[in-house]
Amino acid sequence: MFNLVPLWAKHYEEFWLTIRKRNLWFIKLRYGAVAMLLFFIVFPKYFLGIVLGSTQQTALLIITFSILIYNLIFHYLRQFLKHDADKFNPLHLSVLQMISDLIALMLVVYFTGSVESPLLLFFVIHMIVGSLILPGFIVYTFAVIIVLVFWGITVGEYYSIIPHYHITGFLSYPLHQQFNYVLAINASFEFLIFLIVLIANRMANQLYVREQQLLESIDKINAAEKEKQKYISGIVHEIKTPLAAVHSYLDLVLQKFLGPLDEVVEEKLIRARRRSEEAIELINNVLKISKLKLEDSFNQEEVDIASILARAIKVAKVNADAKGVKLSLNNRRKNKYKILGDPFLLQIALSNIISNAIKYNHMDGLVEINVEEDDENLIVKVCDTGIGIPKEDLQNIFTDFYRASNIKQFGAEGSGLGLSVVKQIVERHNGTIDIQSPSHLATNKYPGTCVKITLPFLKKQI
Amino acid sequence: MAKIAIIDDDPDIVDASSLVLQSKGYDVITASNPTDGYKIVMEQNPDLIILDVMMIEPDDGFFLAQKFRKMNIDTPIIMYTSVSKSLGMEFGASEMVPVDDFVEKPISPETLVDKVEKLLAIHLKE
Repeated sequence: MFNLVPLWAKHYEEFWLTIRKRNLWFIKLRYGAVAMLLFFIVFPKYFLGIVLGSTQQTALLIITFSILIYNLIFHYLRQFLKHDADKFNPLHLSVLQMISDLIALMLVVYFTGSVESPLLLFFVIHMIVGSLILPGFIVYTFAVIIVLVFWGITVGEYYSIIPHYHITGFLSYPLHQQFNYVLAINASFEFLIFLIVLIANRMANQLYVREQQLLESIDKINAAEKEKQKYISGIVHEIKTPLAAVHSYLDLVLQKFLGPLDEVVEEKLIRARRRSEEAIELINNVLKISKLKLEDSFNQEEVDIASILARAIKVAKVNADAKGVKLSLNNRRKNKYKILGDPFLLQIALSNIISNAIKYNHMDGLVEINVEEDDENLIVKVCDTGIGIPKEDLQNIFTDFYRASNIKQFGAEGSGLGLSVVKQIVERHNGTIDIQSPSHLATNKYPGTCVKITLPFLKKQI
Repeated sequence: MAKIAIIDDDPDIVDASSLVLQSKGYDVITASNPTDGYKIVMEQNPDLIILDVMMIEPDDGFFLAQKFRKMNIDTPIIMYTSVSKSLGMEFGASEMVPVDDFVEKPISPETLVDKVEKLLAIHLKE
């Protein structure tokens, strides 16, 4: 099959989508043209008092119905077309549409007075549109054919070889045998058509070149961003190595492998271990973010949210028990549609939210986890009776390293990276995250927080 | 008592692990690079090997483990990793990674002792 795809476009899905959209747009436009033509044929007198002869009326009706029929066929065909440069594709459909339209327009022009017809100007539209989506040589070929055919018709009518269809009521007398007029219209028409094709083609080419440069720049920026992320995760990893050694020693000492400890010393060492834990948690979060940013694709499998939640809760339970915080899980799902995603990343996200709900809670608090669904989404809501988030901090909580202003007084350690990781994971799954404070569990003392995650269901099951 | 080889290029990790294992009565031998590690395993025939995944190269721990298995040494191997489950790298014992268990750094003494005891129990029974 004739390859019409420009070299630069082969790998860009956007190119095909644009062509598809344009095709559909022209199909819709053509229905409008059919309606207008039909109106003109049935009520010609509303157009400047025109009277159509019976041959003209019949011919125009036949042309209009042909347009309608080929438009219906195109409309039907377009949905089956694949974005394959080597097979019949949307671009070939564009060419087919163009050829059909040019033939139909030429016939309409012929039956509305050819050299006298103002509809001649509509060829300009076709030439511009053609130049924007088709290779130059095809548009030039079309232009030459149009000019030759029009020349043939006007010459034929001038010498009375073919009949002329004058539109009664539009012009007071026929012009098709006025030598100067026919010559002037033909010359201007040709000049106009070729000039339009030349200009439109140049503009289209410049646009293409620009677009290509833009796409190349985007690729370069993305590559640089990846380099940066690799560099960051390299450095952070190097920092983790000595920290891990420090932490291992602290554990060793604190677990009395080296003998008994003085109480004051032990207390400070516990403090030191907690701070080094905090640093390791921070490093792990940074590495997680880098990994997310470095990966273009992630695992896409059908995910069972119940088992992921169960695992996340199991991990969190140790901390919850230590603090006397009650975890309550309510599954209110009925249909249990699956979602598509990466179970590991989802577990990180849910663990992060649940551990926050425990960390920023008071002794003997409550964390309520509700699993719900609406028509299109799975909804996980984690609400707590904790310290809440001040109103002025709510808009910043997803920013890297941001920590709400009330955390310092509360005295909990953290890196301020957790929610930013959660948000990235949720957005990778085309979901949304929303945080409210106070929550419905608010008490007189503590406002509490509600985190709501919405994840869309697998489409085919809806 | 069982003999355990620790192969890691971080002297503090080697020291901390040795202290923990020696306090439990194990006989510990150490090496700080893959070449020496290979040598002590071949010469002293330990009952268990603890191997850092990343020494000079990012994956030379893996290569050393594969080398042991190719030599038909079926001594249980515990691998130290610093990037693992927390980052979504789910290691599992396989042909590519012929080890028996993983311990993530920083090393928690209880976890280490627990894993060592379990692996030795299984291996000695066999």
